[in-house]
Amino acid sequence: MRPNRSEEPAHWPLHIFVLLMVLITVYPILWVVTIAFSGGQSLAITNVPANATFGERLRAIVPWPAHVSATNFVSLFRDQPFARWLLNSVVVAGMTTILGVALACTAAYAFSRFRFPGRRVGLMAFLVSQMFPGTLMLIPLFIILVQWLKLGSTFTGLVLIYTVTAIPFCVWMMKGYFDTIPKELEESALIDGASQATIFFRIILPLAKPAVAVTALFSFMTGWNEFIQAATFMNREDMYTGPVGLRFFVGGFSQQWGYFAAGSIVAAIPVMALFLFLQKYLVSGLTAGAVKG
Amino acid sequence: MAAQAQLVSHRRRFLIGLALAALLGAWLGAALLAGSQQAERRDRAERRALVTLSSLTAVLDRTSGGSTQEAAPTETAQAPAASPGTEGGMGLGAEIAAAEQGQAPTSADARGEAVRKAVERFAAAHPEVGAIRVVEFEGILLAASTAPSDRGAKAAPRRLERDEKPLYDLGQRLRAAVEGNRQGAEGAARQPEIGVARQPNGVLILTAPVERGGEVIGMVQMETRAVPEPAAFAWLPFLAAWLAPVLGLLLLSFALGEKRWLLAGAAALVLILDLFLYGRYALQVLAAERRASTQAVAAQIGEESKKAETLLADLSLSPNKPAGQPLAPTLWDVDLFRQSRGLIDASGAPSEGRLGELAGADAGRMTRSVAVLALVSLALLAFVGLGWAVRTGTALVEYRVAYAYTLPASLGMLVLVFFPFFYGIALSFTNANIYNTDKSIFETFVGLQNYIDIITDFHVAHRTAEGLVWDYHNFYYTFLFTVIWTVCNVAIGVSLGLLLALILNLRGFALKPIYRVLLILPWATPNYITSLIFKGMFHSQFGVINQILEMLGGHAVAWFNRPFTSFLAVLTTNGWLSFPFMMVISLGALQSIPADLYEAARVDGASRWQQFRSITLPSLKPALVPAIILSVIWTFNQFNVIYLVSAGEPGGSTEILITQSYKLAFEQYRYGYAAAYSAIIFLILLAYGTWQNKVTGATEAIG
Repeated sequence: MRPNRSEEPAHWPLHIFVLLMVLITVYPILWVVTIAFSGGQSLAITNVPANATFGERLRAIVPWPAHVSATNFVSLFRDQPFARWLLNSVVVAGMTTILGVALACTAAYAFSRFRFPGRRVGLMAFLVSQMFPGTLMLIPLFIILVQWLKLGSTFTGLVLIYTVTAIPFCVWMMKGYFDTIPKELEESALIDGASQATIFFRIILPLAKPAVAVTALFSFMTGWNEFIQAATFMNREDMYTGPVGLRFFVGGFSQQWGYFAAGSIVAAIPVMALFLFLQKYLVSGLTAGAVKG
Repeated sequence: MAAQAQLVSHRRRFLIGLALAALLGAWLGAALLAGSQQAERRDRAERRALVTLSSLTAVLDRTSGGSTQEAAPTETAQAPAASPGTEGGMGLGAEIAAAEQGQAPTSADARGEAVRKAVERFAAAHPEVGAIRVVEFEGILLAASTAPSDRGAKAAPRRLERDEKPLYDLGQRLRAAVEGNRQGAEGAARQPEIGVARQPNGVLILTAPVERGGEVIGMVQMETRAVPEPAAFAWLPFLAAWLAPVLGLLLLSFALGEKRWLLAGAAALVLILDLFLYGRYALQVLAAERRASTQAVAAQIGEESKKAETLLADLSLSPNKPAGQPLAPTLWDVDLFRQSRGLIDASGAPSEGRLGELAGADAGRMTRSVAVLALVSLALLAFVGLGWAVRTGTALVEYRVAYAYTLPASLGMLVLVFFPFFYGIALSFTNANIYNTDKSIFETFVGLQNYIDIITDFHVAHRTAEGLVWDYHNFYYTFLFTVIWTVCNVAIGVSLGLLLALILNLRGFALKPIYRVLLILPWATPNYITSLIFKGMFHSQFGVINQILEMLGGHAVAWFNRPFTSFLAVLTTNGWLSFPFMMVISLGALQSIPADLYEAARVDGASRWQQFRSITLPSLKPALVPAIILSVIWTFNQFNVIYLVSAGEPGGSTEILITQSYKLAFEQYRYGYAAAYSAIIFLILLAYGTWQNKVTGATEAIG
């Protein structure tokens, strides 16, 4: 049907507003790209003289480097151990994703489909655990993982922590999605003689693909973007993850903004790409459980 | 139902329960006892080795000439001074006097020769001692060594080699410890003055400083075999502690019959009595061990002092002559701070008073252990005896598929989330800090002190000449700031997000997909990167935000020098990264509203505002409310933005609770206090969650 044009408000003021928001959104990202390709370590795009003209001042904020150069990227991988740190992040985030998705899917399925003693308590406990302050957990976790289990500076220790960090949110989201899948599908499959495992792997999981994608994305981002725990548990420099390494460039007295910017781009591109690619699923996954109410 | 109740035998249940509970209690108790026994024996071996080390340093002091300090300084409070002449340096006068007697070494070379001879003789007299190395710091010299690797070209005296640097560093650490302890302030943590390294094959490597005239001039390292005597597991008491209560209850149950609560009481009593008696027994075993240790050490001292005297006589150094200082072997039983333990009295016999004190301390610890054991065992007894075990078992079998599906995730959560959480809560009742990490929770217990300190500190602000000054480290200030921070952020996030979502949901809005992707970018950017970017952009000198201000004719702002501008900076950062989440959530919910609802409303003549009020908002609620709750909790705990952008500057004024507690733990190392601080944060969030849940019923989906 054709919308009644006269009822719609004019769009151009809204476009101005949205464009302004887009500018604010995009500018910091362009700024990083500029610094990364400037070939230097300074945080200014250009040097502003003491009595600068308006033009010179304008030039200083335009996100385009004075000289375009990729030397920051080259020496990031050649002179700095960034490749190693990135590889560590890949391993940790990848293992977190696999483990997180597997655990969240199975647990959420049980919470959605079965009624068993401890179900309410379990769901509530998962929710409440989200409120545990990270700093309250950090000291005991350090004692358990590093002193008792001797898992300091290992992938295993970090992956375990990240997985349990991601699980509660993933379980709740998957449960919400499973709830929307009609039970009749399983009942008819049961009548056809399918086993419990067949139903789960062949019927439910394929239907829940969007939610699985979101869970995977969430688990991956948990592992890829986390830095406090990584900084606490990874003491050896060759076991640093990407975030800890990036903080290394501009933390404390270090002011290597060029390396930081170049490294940020390299570290952020995979997650941003994944995120934008999967965002359709993300929206439907996030809202599916909630809208249904 | 009645027929089923007949089948249940309370007697059998309680007997099985008691058998299991007593097994658990007796086994844990026996394991704990064996552990302490083992520890005591290891300690004993170590103490004997330390006596040998003390003897060695005493001999070295006398042969190297000049030093009067033995491994045990004689000024310790608990030990009676052995003789008045043992304090202070020998001094030049004494050295000259000794030289005149023609006995003491007259030059450094001769002295080195004497040290080497003494070390060799000492090693010969002690078959259990593997290698002795003496290092002088002056000239980084290996003065003497009996190590097999230091023969031929590498024989002492020689300079230490590059790969022996750890040895030299260890010596320097000990020197620093000695000097630090000597001038140490009241209450400062003392550093051990003797290095102990345990090799897997039972060899101890002990390192002690060598002093001359009250100054540490070198070190001596001794390798010695110190294998603790193995302690056999005491099977008989363990079996008695396990089976005796079961037998007792069996006999009692003939009298009691099937009366459930009588049986429960009897079983509990028997169990507690059993554990109490086992505790008494364990106490006696430990006391015997301690006595045996002290006797062994006393014997070792007697033997060592004889050997030392013979050795000194052999080296034609009368033990009493050079500086008029007799050996003080009763002080050779030292701890790692080179203080006498006071367990050997002046006559060389075990000191009953000190042993009694130790036994008292043991009794206190034992009472606590028995109480914990009793609680655990009683829980097991009740679990089995009252039939909960059977019910749990039935449920486990009946719902085994469901439990199998949830097991992996639940197990992970239990071990790595809930257990650490409760451990953290336990820590909050202690004054644990970086200096007492080796102590158990019971030893550092301070009760509610941390909580009281935090909550009753009302010095939020004080008046000065310049007006009201906030105390930024006060809990209530930080709490207030955190609330303002959260409210502002969520308000910005929700209003911007909802507004953009409504615009992007307009039918026929041009470039919709492009806008959407661009506006989602902040959510996709890792927030630690965002934080570091904004930290750079808010830089007072080179930051691009100040350059924009200057371009527009304003002045550069030192953002992190004033609380308000610093707050604006962190607020901008968090606003930038948090609005897309709300936008996406709202957009998703808006798109799922059926278009015919609006159609029908238009047909009924509803205005746009009425449509928004009665259709859009109610449809948004189920998606938006959980999102807001999540967002409140996330923002409340938004560590990265505060920590990386403002770092609490200026002066901790922009610290939120979570970053404050992190700094308490990892910059001030007050673990217990920080844990209490975090526990309070948790309570605040829990109260908020409960209230929010009541108001909105957000978790009713649990169903």
